[in-house]
Amino acid sequence: MNITKLSGVLGMITLMAGTALAHHSFTAEFDVNKPVKLTGKVTEMKFSNPHSWIYLDVETNGKIVNWALETGAANALIRRGWKKTDLPAGTVLHVDGWQARNGTATANVSSVTFPDGKRLFAGSSNESAPQQ
Amino acid sequence: MFTWSTKALFALSAVVLSAQQIKLPRTADGKPNLQGIWQVRGKAAADLQGKGIVEGGEIPYQPWAITKKRENFTNRLAADPLGKCYLPGVPRIMYMEYPFQIFQTPEHVAITFEWSQVYRLIYTNGKPAPHEGIDSWMGDSRGRWEGDTLVVEVKAQNDKTWFDMAGDFHSDAMNVTERYRMVDPDTIQYEATIQDPKVFTKSWKISIPMTRQKNMSRLLEYQCQAEAEEANGAFERDPRTWYPKPGSPPSPLGKPAVMPPSGPLPEVKTGTNLRRTADGKPDLTGYYQSNAGGANYGLEQRRSELRLTPSTRGVIIDPPDRTLPYQPWARAERINREEPYRGYDDPTAHCFVAGVPRSMYVPSPVQILQPPGYVVMLFERMSWRIVPLDGRAHIPDNIRLWQGDSVGHWEGDTLVVDTTNMNGKTWLNEVGDVVSHAEHIVERFIPTADGKITYRATVTDPIAYTKPWTIEIPLNRANDELLEVACHEDNGDLQHLKDVRDEYRAQQKKEK
Repeated sequence: MNITKLSGVLGMITLMAGTALAHHSFTAEFDVNKPVKLTGKVTEMKFSNPHSWIYLDVETNGKIVNWALETGAANALIRRGWKKTDLPAGTVLHVDGWQARNGTATANVSSVTFPDGKRLFAGSSNESAPQQ
Repeated sequence: MFTWSTKALFALSAVVLSAQQIKLPRTADGKPNLQGIWQVRGKAAADLQGKGIVEGGEIPYQPWAITKKRENFTNRLAADPLGKCYLPGVPRIMYMEYPFQIFQTPEHVAITFEWSQVYRLIYTNGKPAPHEGIDSWMGDSRGRWEGDTLVVEVKAQNDKTWFDMAGDFHSDAMNVTERYRMVDPDTIQYEATIQDPKVFTKSWKISIPMTRQKNMSRLLEYQCQAEAEEANGAFERDPRTWYPKPGSPPSPLGKPAVMPPSGPLPEVKTGTNLRRTADGKPDLTGYYQSNAGGANYGLEQRRSELRLTPSTRGVIIDPPDRTLPYQPWARAERINREEPYRGYDDPTAHCFVAGVPRSMYVPSPVQILQPPGYVVMLFERMSWRIVPLDGRAHIPDNIRLWQGDSVGHWEGDTLVVDTTNMNGKTWLNEVGDVVSHAEHIVERFIPTADGKITYRATVTDPIAYTKPWTIEIPLNRANDELLEVACHEDNGDLQHLKDVRDEYRAQQKKEK
């Protein structure tokens, strides 16, 4: 899958995914006062319910930290034709989101930017993101 | 003058004849009617390689796999996936010692299990799976009738389940062929042929009788994970909403309110030219998604100030001011539940069952089935509701369930479902709209056109509210199939929510 198609799919899934398939309170887990901007390489896309996770190696001050980024449920991705293999390891992503309140390298994704510069929403409950 | 062999032949033909003469219950389309509550008793759940279950006695493991099986056996107490309440997979779910209920329509066989409200939906309509290449814990089941035998092919299971408590295992290459053959009205002979070239040297077969549970009229619930978390303290009792335990102190809230009757509701007309079942009722069968306008984030209308919680349309149609008629304590509790440290207390964050009416508007689909005598609802978030239509009474008051006890009847073309026996453990949504064990729900499924249902639920709860209230949500049929949500198998969020809660509690302790 090329990046354009990939970003299209990611865009579609993410518009509804996080919000629509949430099973827990986002405000309880993530902190709107801790926005994060991350750039890194995908190490794994974990296809799971109730949320899928993108793992991203992010370099900060010469140290690599593997971030866990929460997005929509696998079932929502599957219904849009998404496959496990569609986000291969090594893909570079820029991610905006909100960090978990517990301070770990975990975030809820609000948008993803691909190397081609295209910016897309991704799986958050941000009310400015279109909802189902 | 009979020789021994002619005698034997005579005896044999007599046996065959009597088998043919056993009258099996049959469905309207002539298939053996498997509907009913069944259970396997015996040693299979503990060890398949016990007496007389595996044909030939032993599972034909490849040499490496024998070693692996021995390791599993040694570590079984910690390593058995069932110990973590993970979905058991097929065939294991079929011979665990819990009852299950079979429902049959011309296009489906559904099996609902008492164990953790798991279900299997077996499609017998000849259609292939619409979503390919997905592994799941329970696999994809497609069935067909070969004469009087239901044959089910189960594919695409993951490699995380076991066959039994003894560590017998398989890989993700396993295919299972099940055969359900009713040998008399109270016995199904169940066979499963296991093929897995990664683990076994050849295919192998198990054969187990399933027995009709004539004394059971209803499945109850064994919620594996919820019971474990209640026992180990991870999920805490709320004495205000939970059904009191025998001998527990009286509710801190005093007496429940005296409730006025529900107000009059605007009339909704049922559709004309509705698709109908053989008995003339509207045919509600199908895969539905609710257009809930964010009811899972609040039943009242709300423009969200918080960027992480969506705004809500508001689904209350009574009282006319469209707000919930809370008692003061319950309104205060509702507001408190939005504090981040309370996020951990929402049962669905633990992947527990959503309850009634929340199951109908969580943003996840539901499959409705109409087998003879019932309406069955299967929720993608792995739980079921069974609604008998035979006019029976509710179960005894002291039996309390996550999904309650539902009974139904038709009023014209509207399906009316009455639910009591709730346990008071559920929240109505993620922001924590409150409901207690005193909740009594009357739901109306009003088919306004083919594939369109106006869903209404009137909730009467004298512990949390001053009067009844009603929500209305459209349910829309779509052309799709349920997938699996194995929720707590992969619930990374709960630890984060617990961290937030624990930090708050530690802070409170310090301040004291």
